[in-house]
Amino acid sequence: MNDKIKTVEFDLCGFVCPVSKMKAAEAVNDLRDGETLNIVLGDTESLKSVAQELKDKGIKPDFKQDGENRFILTISK
Amino acid sequence: MDAGNHPDHKRRVYSDVTQLVASVENPTPLVRVNRLNTNEKLQLYLKLERYNPFGSIKDRIANEMLKGLDTDGKTIVEPSSGNTGIALACVANALGIPVEIAVPDQVPEEKKIILKFLGAKLMEADDGLCPLFPSEGARGLVNGLIKSPALKDTYVSPNQYENELNVQAHYRSTGPEIWNQTQGKIDYFFAGFGTCGTISGIGKYLKEQNPAIRIIGVEPASPDHKLPGMKRITGLAEEYIPKILNRSVIDDFVQVKDEDAYQTAIDLARKDGIPVGPTTGAILFAALNYIGEGKGVAVAISPDDAFKYTSFYKDILEAELAARRQYGRGGGI
Repeated sequence: MNDKIKTVEFDLCGFVCPVSKMKAAEAVNDLRDGETLNIVLGDTESLKSVAQELKDKGIKPDFKQDGENRFILTISK
Repeated sequence: MDAGNHPDHKRRVYSDVTQLVASVENPTPLVRVNRLNTNEKLQLYLKLERYNPFGSIKDRIANEMLKGLDTDGKTIVEPSSGNTGIALACVANALGIPVEIAVPDQVPEEKKIILKFLGAKLMEADDGLCPLFPSEGARGLVNGLIKSPALKDTYVSPNQYENELNVQAHYRSTGPEIWNQTQGKIDYFFAGFGTCGTISGIGKYLKEQNPAIRIIGVEPASPDHKLPGMKRITGLAEEYIPKILNRSVIDDFVQVKDEDAYQTAIDLARKDGIPVGPTTGAILFAALNYIGEGKGVAVAISPDDAFKYTSFYKDILEAELAARRQYGRGGGI
């Protein structure tokens, strides 16, 4: 039995809203039990829209800012 | 037999399908509405754009925009409620260029199937997808694809909402066609608002020929409507109004409800034998009511035909059948 939590990083820094939001939604839908997803975003518009999308899905992510324009939302399933 | 580079409309021999797109030498027909229009002092004509090779008025602008676009190996991407997408896919296929189309909510299944049939990649976008383009998610999505650094050099968009060639296509072809076909006797011109290229281009041309011609724009009565391709301009924030709209050529705005548009389209098919899409129904309803008992010669744009909207008409026809059954006036077995 593997107790390790698999962490998937999904770097969307190169995508602006709403492409970032659509790709983030796809990644969240593909998340499997036991996995953790780090969604990395490169602008505040994307951050706002992805955060809203997660809220609409009833998901509360952890948030970390890594530099001026690098935002990380972490979700575990 | 050589088709040559110049279309021969007399022999109707063409070197490729794009040569069939309407032009002054090869105009789409003007057909008089005889029975739905009961005003004998009014000659009301429909400009039947379905006779373009890919089935709608958008064939003109797709041809104009793509032939003026340097794709440089990129994929064409465009938001479209269907007709522009279909026309772009056909012209692009003829030119050997890949196409992706972002379609909004309220696009009939028939159009989506045709786009897939043509090999275009379809991206369905909820109207609320992008806060930058409220209620126009497909436009927002294409904007996002074009502006994403990770997709640099991947896409190019003709951008019918801002592309002056959209206006020019109508200024150079549809406008002169109408002027010639009516022998300059036109008094009223009616078209819907969508990208606003049709009314801006034709309106400008007709006003230059005779400033007394009244140019009337038709829009949905509600922002939440079921008239694909039409846009409500009234009340829209300035930044969301298509940049190519030329308000100076428009004399009046008329609003039409969905039910009036659909019913007029059905009545036209049953009384005059002309099967049109719901936007034609809206434009025709506006024309009949705007002119009322007035006189003169009027031309209304008919952007496309009924066949791409059978699933939309189905609900109305089924309700009609149910009503007939309820009141015992036939309706089948």
